[in-house]
Amino acid sequence: MSKELLSINESIMSRLRKLYDECVVQVNEVNSLMIKIVNNDIALKHAQTIYTISLYLVKHRRTFVLESSTSNIDELFKLVENVGSYISMIQESELYAPIPEPKPYKPLNNLVDDKVITYINNPTPLCELLINSALNEGAHRTSGTLRLSIMSKALTTSNGFEGFERGSEVVAYLRAFKESSSGHWAYGSRFVDSRSLEEVGKRAAQYAVLAKNALDVTPGKYDVILSPLVVGNLMELIATMASAFYVLTGFSIFMDRKLGDKVAADSLTLADVPRDVELSSSTAFDDEGVETYDKEIIGNGVLKNLLHNCKTAAKLNTSSTGNAGWISPRPWNISLMPGDASLDEMIKEVRNGLLITNNWYTRLQNYVEGTFSTVSRDAVFYIRNGEVVGSTGRVRIADNLNKLLNNVVMIGKECYMIKWWEVTVPSKVPYLLVRDVNITKPFD
Amino acid sequence: MSEDLLHYVVDYALSLGAKYAEARYQLDETLVMILRNGRLVTLGRSVSDGIGIRLVYNGVLTFSATNKLERNDLVDAVRKAVDRAKALSHLVKVPVRFADDEVCRGSYEVKALKDFEYVDVEGKVKLLGELHNSVVNNVKEVKIPATYCEYLEHVQRKLILNSDGGFVKGEVPRLSITFNLVMHHAQKGSLQRLRQWGASGGLELLEVWKPKEALEEEVGNLERVLIHGVEPPKEAVDIVVGSEIVGLMVHESAGHPMEADRILGREAAQAGESYVKPEHIGRFRIGNEYATVVEDPTIPGSFGYYEYDDECIKARPRYLYKEGLVNEPLHNRYTASILNTKSNGSSRSMDYANEPLVRMSNTYLKPGDMSFEELLEDVNFGVYIKSYMEWNIDDIRWNQRYVGLESYLIVDGELRNAIRNPVLELTTQSFYSRIEGVDKELKFYPGTCGKGEPPQGIPVWFGGPNVKLSKMRLGVLRYE
Repeated sequence: MSKELLSINESIMSRLRKLYDECVVQVNEVNSLMIKIVNNDIALKHAQTIYTISLYLVKHRRTFVLESSTSNIDELFKLVENVGSYISMIQESELYAPIPEPKPYKPLNNLVDDKVITYINNPTPLCELLINSALNEGAHRTSGTLRLSIMSKALTTSNGFEGFERGSEVVAYLRAFKESSSGHWAYGSRFVDSRSLEEVGKRAAQYAVLAKNALDVTPGKYDVILSPLVVGNLMELIATMASAFYVLTGFSIFMDRKLGDKVAADSLTLADVPRDVELSSSTAFDDEGVETYDKEIIGNGVLKNLLHNCKTAAKLNTSSTGNAGWISPRPWNISLMPGDASLDEMIKEVRNGLLITNNWYTRLQNYVEGTFSTVSRDAVFYIRNGEVVGSTGRVRIADNLNKLLNNVVMIGKECYMIKWWEVTVPSKVPYLLVRDVNITKPFD
Repeated sequence: MSEDLLHYVVDYALSLGAKYAEARYQLDETLVMILRNGRLVTLGRSVSDGIGIRLVYNGVLTFSATNKLERNDLVDAVRKAVDRAKALSHLVKVPVRFADDEVCRGSYEVKALKDFEYVDVEGKVKLLGELHNSVVNNVKEVKIPATYCEYLEHVQRKLILNSDGGFVKGEVPRLSITFNLVMHHAQKGSLQRLRQWGASGGLELLEVWKPKEALEEEVGNLERVLIHGVEPPKEAVDIVVGSEIVGLMVHESAGHPMEADRILGREAAQAGESYVKPEHIGRFRIGNEYATVVEDPTIPGSFGYYEYDDECIKARPRYLYKEGLVNEPLHNRYTASILNTKSNGSSRSMDYANEPLVRMSNTYLKPGDMSFEELLEDVNFGVYIKSYMEWNIDDIRWNQRYVGLESYLIVDGELRNAIRNPVLELTTQSFYSRIEGVDKELKFYPGTCGKGEPPQGIPVWFGGPNVKLSKMRLGVLRYE
């Protein structure tokens, strides 16, 4: 496989070298199977074999990005010729830096779980495990997704970098219903772990079953425990805002901050962890051939790193952090360092608060100031004097990301590997307790 | 793409025992330009083509996609699809079937009046750079720390063939511009605006949109909001909601809850379900006589334009809500069969690699016959919310929130002081029941609607007139 993809890279590169000053060729192949579960039934089996060729081309400091999801190389070269005609018409790139000189990189091992290949051919046992683990906990219906993938990438640069990786991924999430209540859990990793997959169904069902005794809460400030699903969603937003491209284009709370600024509670450490092979975007090299490394974005509450490719790094007089993206750097995998609290200890700490188990639709009024809201879905538990006393209907967190980061007071000691519809960057995250979170509901 | 190859795929699937087979070739080509502060960062081109194959075998619905288009590759994709369907068929409790619809043979095409080559890349970069200048040159007291601009040309071609006799060819060019600006004032903080233009057609759209002039006008107003804007009134007041927000509201709280696959729970773990239940259709009152929401893929020049859907069903306008009643959900052939009706042509897919889903196209609230001035004239004290940034809605499409950006106090029927960040947080029923008047200015806005797993973003328009709501409280953004 590696030879096959790299030879495609080389054949494309040999044609490109004559035309451009600098080139990067990346070929990706994804074989995936997704099973969609609806109302305890198999609603869809979705298989993809997708082959993508991406090119980064530079001529006279003008940059071009081409992407081709086609098996027809001639079609790709029509685009190459097409953009070649633009060279004299456009300016030097606002963000240009030479492709970095290739350096050796330490490969990551054990990125493929053979069980993923086995289950791609027969996903039935995992589907049954997901559904039955929820039904056995008392759910009356379940919906969700199981996705199994084998992904290969080959990267070649015109100045001599050559890299290949092949990895697996399993993503499972399930929403369990008990009458009008629901719960949700998710798992995402490179590895099939039956216990974790069983936990997806169990936890989803446990939340659905526990979410009874509906109580009304009035809008106002509450101490809020955020589940790993919610933490994953919000930390993905924060980590993405650490992309220097987002900072440069006005989509980041870090736009007005400097490295070393205090941006969060002392206990909070958020990191980009491309070297964590349990998480499915782990990679040894980025899209510019730079070796990846794990790095803190926020370390003990202090802004430690923005995420860079070589172009944003050149613009901001620093070095690449191995997070390219040819245009925008991005986090590979996210890790929020665990604390020492159990969920029960967090609940005991809350006098008047909520446990929000899942959220969606996070949107911002102002990316620079961090004003945002997000809506709960699935179980929300009402906590009084250290005890769960019932559940509430859907509520909304409407607050500020800076304030939220600074008001974290307890961090769970166990991290969960989460990936699903609302957490797209693979994440290892715990429960968090945050003080004085603004909760809203419709006025009418 | 050879039509014969699609026939071959469908025939081969039927020969293996599939009860239904569909082969859709789709080609998507784009040109994208990204600018920061008026200077080009990069120019990108993409091409994506391949075949999506959908089968029903032993009651299992399967979808396979490949961009390896040799006959052997396609045979392999079909055979694997059938084998996996066999393996899963014992888990299926309710076999998938499709409604007995009239599938069509037909074609549709949008012709650009000025094709994408009409202006060269140099001219386009110059024009986009001027958008930045139009912002920085038209503010007085604030700074513009950053602008971001994304320009997208997109041509989509589809060739669809199914075993029920459907055959459709479609070609639609689309143009869109997304512009972000950050405005900063030393004492007043910052304000952010994300503005979009989008439609089907060619470069003639630039003359219609006049984005430079539009930004010039808007930034002055936004500067006044940032510097002079005050908190919205605390008491309940009349509210006039601008068409930009009305469009989004009907998309979120009429379009999405009226997607039949949501009503039936097929999106439960992804985009969510719906407050609408099957028994509500034609019976449940969601609003008053002003609450008529139309969904129409056939609007010429629209961002969500098509004449036949991806199941080869003829498109037509649908009345989702009609004079306050929950009326007609959006259907594909599968949801229609479950609810004992016919498909109304709502099946769309983002690209060849993803299954067609029940989707919106162009959704709008029916306008009235008043002018905007007439809509305001009865308001003694109220708030007009013209544009927004933050919004969201819950997963059953009931509890929704919109935070205004450009907003004004209305006093004695006239717009007065700027208001900052008014929060409209209400239920779907509250919105559609509070409408007291709608003006005649139907305006559309582009969006990319997300749904499904893998997530699919598709182009849509949403629109409406300006709408007057009866007295209600507004919220305030205030964090300490």
